[in-house]
Amino acid sequence: MRELTYTAAAREALAAAMAKDPSIFVVGEGIGARGGNFNTTAGLYDLYGPMRLRDTPIAERGFIGLCAGAAMTGARPVVDFMFLDFILDAMGELINQVAKMQYMSDGRLKMPIVLRGSVGVGGSAATHHSGNYYSIFAHIPGFRVVLPSTPYDAKGLFNTALRGDDPVMFLEHKLLLNTKGPVPEDDYAIPFGQASVVREGGRDCRVTVVALAAMLRKTLDACDQLAKDGISVEVIDPRTVAPLDMDTILQSLHKTGRLLIVDETFAPCGIGAEIAAQAVDRALDDLDAPVKRLNGAHTPTPYSPPLEAAVIPNAATIEQAIRDLLAE
Amino acid sequence: MAIEILVPRLGWTMEEGVFVEWLKRDGETVRQGDLIFRLEGDKALTEVESMDDGILRIPPDAPQPGATVPVGALLGYLVAPGERAPFEPSLPVTPSPPLPTSSAPAAPTISPRALRVAKELGVDWAALRGSGRTGRIVEADVRKAAAQSTAQPPTARRVPVSPTRRVIAERMAAGLHVAAPVTLSSEVDATELVRLREQLKQDKKATVIPSYSDLLAKIAAHALLEHPALNARLEEDEIVTDSAVHMGIAVDTERGLLAPVVRDAQAKSLLQIAAETRALIERTRTGKATADELRGSTFTVSNLGMYEIDAFSPVINLPECAILGLGRIVAKQVVTLRPGSIDEIERVSVRRMMTLSLTFDHRLVDGAPAAAFLQRVKHLVEQPYLWLVT
Amino acid sequence: MTQTTGKPLTKERLLALYRTMLVIRRTEEQLARAHQAGLIHGACHTYVGEEAVATGVCANLRADDAVFSTHRGHGHALAKGVNPAALMAELFGRATGVSRGRGGSMHLFAPEVGLMGTSGIVGPCILQAAGAGYSFKLLNTDRVGVAFFGDGAANNGAFHEGLNMASIWKLPALFVCENNLYATEVPFSQSAGNPNVAERSAAYGMPGVLVDGNNVVKVYEAAREAVQRARSGGGPTLIECRTYRTRAHSEGMRDAGYRSADEVEAWKARDPLKLLAAQLPADDIAAVESEVKAQVDAAYDFARNSPYPDPATATTHVFSE
Repeated sequence: MRELTYTAAAREALAAAMAKDPSIFVVGEGIGARGGNFNTTAGLYDLYGPMRLRDTPIAERGFIGLCAGAAMTGARPVVDFMFLDFILDAMGELINQVAKMQYMSDGRLKMPIVLRGSVGVGGSAATHHSGNYYSIFAHIPGFRVVLPSTPYDAKGLFNTALRGDDPVMFLEHKLLLNTKGPVPEDDYAIPFGQASVVREGGRDCRVTVVALAAMLRKTLDACDQLAKDGISVEVIDPRTVAPLDMDTILQSLHKTGRLLIVDETFAPCGIGAEIAAQAVDRALDDLDAPVKRLNGAHTPTPYSPPLEAAVIPNAATIEQAIRDLLAE
Repeated sequence: MAIEILVPRLGWTMEEGVFVEWLKRDGETVRQGDLIFRLEGDKALTEVESMDDGILRIPPDAPQPGATVPVGALLGYLVAPGERAPFEPSLPVTPSPPLPTSSAPAAPTISPRALRVAKELGVDWAALRGSGRTGRIVEADVRKAAAQSTAQPPTARRVPVSPTRRVIAERMAAGLHVAAPVTLSSEVDATELVRLREQLKQDKKATVIPSYSDLLAKIAAHALLEHPALNARLEEDEIVTDSAVHMGIAVDTERGLLAPVVRDAQAKSLLQIAAETRALIERTRTGKATADELRGSTFTVSNLGMYEIDAFSPVINLPECAILGLGRIVAKQVVTLRPGSIDEIERVSVRRMMTLSLTFDHRLVDGAPAAAFLQRVKHLVEQPYLWLVT
Repeated sequence: MTQTTGKPLTKERLLALYRTMLVIRRTEEQLARAHQAGLIHGACHTYVGEEAVATGVCANLRADDAVFSTHRGHGHALAKGVNPAALMAELFGRATGVSRGRGGSMHLFAPEVGLMGTSGIVGPCILQAAGAGYSFKLLNTDRVGVAFFGDGAANNGAFHEGLNMASIWKLPALFVCENNLYATEVPFSQSAGNPNVAERSAAYGMPGVLVDGNNVVKVYEAAREAVQRARSGGGPTLIECRTYRTRAHSEGMRDAGYRSADEVEAWKARDPLKLLAAQLPADDIAAVESEVKAQVDAAYDFARNSPYPDPATATTHVFSE
């Protein structure tokens, strides 16, 4: 199968959808003729022009509020926000308007809006360009929160985002944007709320690891090391944190008895806490050890490479966390 | 002067018990009448009350919860305020504050998953050593234990002997080896007894329907008044004969064979006995019976009729003198001969027959008085009005 | 500033405007009574004194034009075509309410008549009206997005961001500022460096109009011109309507200390209904009066007798499916 980068895979989905549906338009800073800071819209401006690829003022609250109004009246906006940190100015619009509109109108208004852009720690982006914050959105009723980890998933999940009528936070880890992987040319959609068992453990597998976004690759590296010692690990990528596919996680936990959640971002009140709580709630009798979390440090994100590396998990710390859990 | 707290004897035969837990903490003030610890002894769990006032002091080497302790063993002290406990150094020390939690050592912990697997595989995990970081028993420990036990012959499941089982074992062995047991059997015609019971079932005023055990308990109590030699026990060089009949009723429970006691059965009506045994049996089966309710019987009845047993040799519940076993009641053809004839049949009828088995201790009583007692019981079964009118 | 001119309105048009204003007035008077009677469970912000603004603007709109409103939105909803019965039922928390009991006074939704929502948050309606304008332009329609907002919102960042984007992209939108002189109780004169809102339009390169918000004819004429401009691709307009609410900020709230009784009385003397009634025959006014009274009475009975929503519906429609 041909290989595409993560960004190209998502762009393929966007381009195909725009060709079919004239109500889709993209807003963002530099997404017009420039083709997007991360090449998310490269080549599309020439095809569809400024009305559908709209460069905006630096007014995140403004253009997200505007897109809410557009989504309520028949258009299908895609907000290309570049860095998730930038749209924190729009939290009121997002939480009070975008997330609540369908409910408050008793389902008579739809809110088909895709908010896409980068998240994550890496590349010395420092603290105003490294936010993850997905747990915040997963906490709010009304959002779909998507965290693809592979080019294949990026295309399939973007297709689902563009076809639904719900607000979707489509969050692309910056360290994944240029990673390559097999992507089918046909049109396919991956439903939200369907985790992927990325690495299946053997019959003697005694630990399940849930890994999100960029943590998935690092977790798989750790598993390769552990395999040399004959340690089998089952690895699950939830792919969407809202909705969260707990059934797949619990199925694996039933098999293995131990659960570790590897999440780059902060632990308190995070998605790992939610997964752990549900595991204890729904599968206590499957647990052979406490549920463990491996998170990034609860700090803003520093700039200098050794400082930056110190606030996020890596393959070695993940490997150790798995060993520790197996010894519990 | 510190007052010693010792393991008490809870029953006539108790030699040792299991110290279960303190109900007061080290350093806590205790008043006379307060319950201070739990002891599993002679077939029951007892909460032991303090006979004195004082401050509870528990020596560091005192028996730990779960330990088997002989009667008379030292558990702790009651001291006066400011008084030093005997185990403390001679320098005055300030009394330690009450412990925030029970002084019980951590019981082995087990993961929820391991617990589930233990139940599935029938593994008794209490004795396992956990391999988890904190000593937690994990699934692998349980599976290993299960694999080892299945490697043994199928009958080899090992369960530690419980205090209750140990008491039963010792008593039963004593009943056979210390006593001189002899068993007499007699087939009796229970037709009238069955009829009586059917009539009681029809009686709207009857609050309980007596079981056959109740009926035989009543009949035996009545017969024992006429044959007190069977209502006796051996105490050192004396044979003690009780004027009251305290009737033990053997009951099968999860913990083993227990015999709750109906006191003064000779003075109680059939329905009183029935109501009391029903309540006692329920309390015994659910482990709520007190030690007092399980001891002090002078005679015991044991019924295996519900298991379709025809006859058996019951074992004497020492120090009693005798025990009466009840077999099942079955319909049989009975031949009645013409009066004066040797083999001429007057009629063949169907009767409800039952075998009674009396085991008695030949050390205390001889065969003839024992047989006379059993014969009296037989007559009372066959003609219930004989005792109903008394 | 643009001057509005045009032919005088017909008597029928004027009576229709009067009728709409009266429906708003009588409905809200009934709501105020119902609030006292405990029928309204939450907040109730009335529009009494400001009816000419919603009436004059909405008389120029079609059902498929989109209105985005405020926390003081009963007037916008009724002027846009919401039935008073559904409005009252909503405030009474009933299943027959315009938002099925989910919103109350501040969350009225009737997209079928183009009411895209009243709101508990000050500002977002400006952005959403611009967004509706974007949508209508993208989809090649001649529909218009309209934001009603108060003087308080004119100081919010949404005003700046929304008007700027509407202007640069020439969006078919109306921004109607109902300047009632107080943001709750804070005088606009004390919270605006330049208390003339209409003048701010120049900063965004769009037309701005200042009108007497108690004169429904003036409002109607200004809105007519702005709507025509929007429909014909001429872009957005800012209309500032100077008006006054004569009741308290919210029902049950004390209304003293921040404004004088003389000021309130002076504005009551310029009541928009009185001003228009003076131009119309008394018989016609009386006929409208009795017709509206019957309608509002029936609405009240309907609302009061409507069932409460089924609690099982409390979690539906969080998502589209």
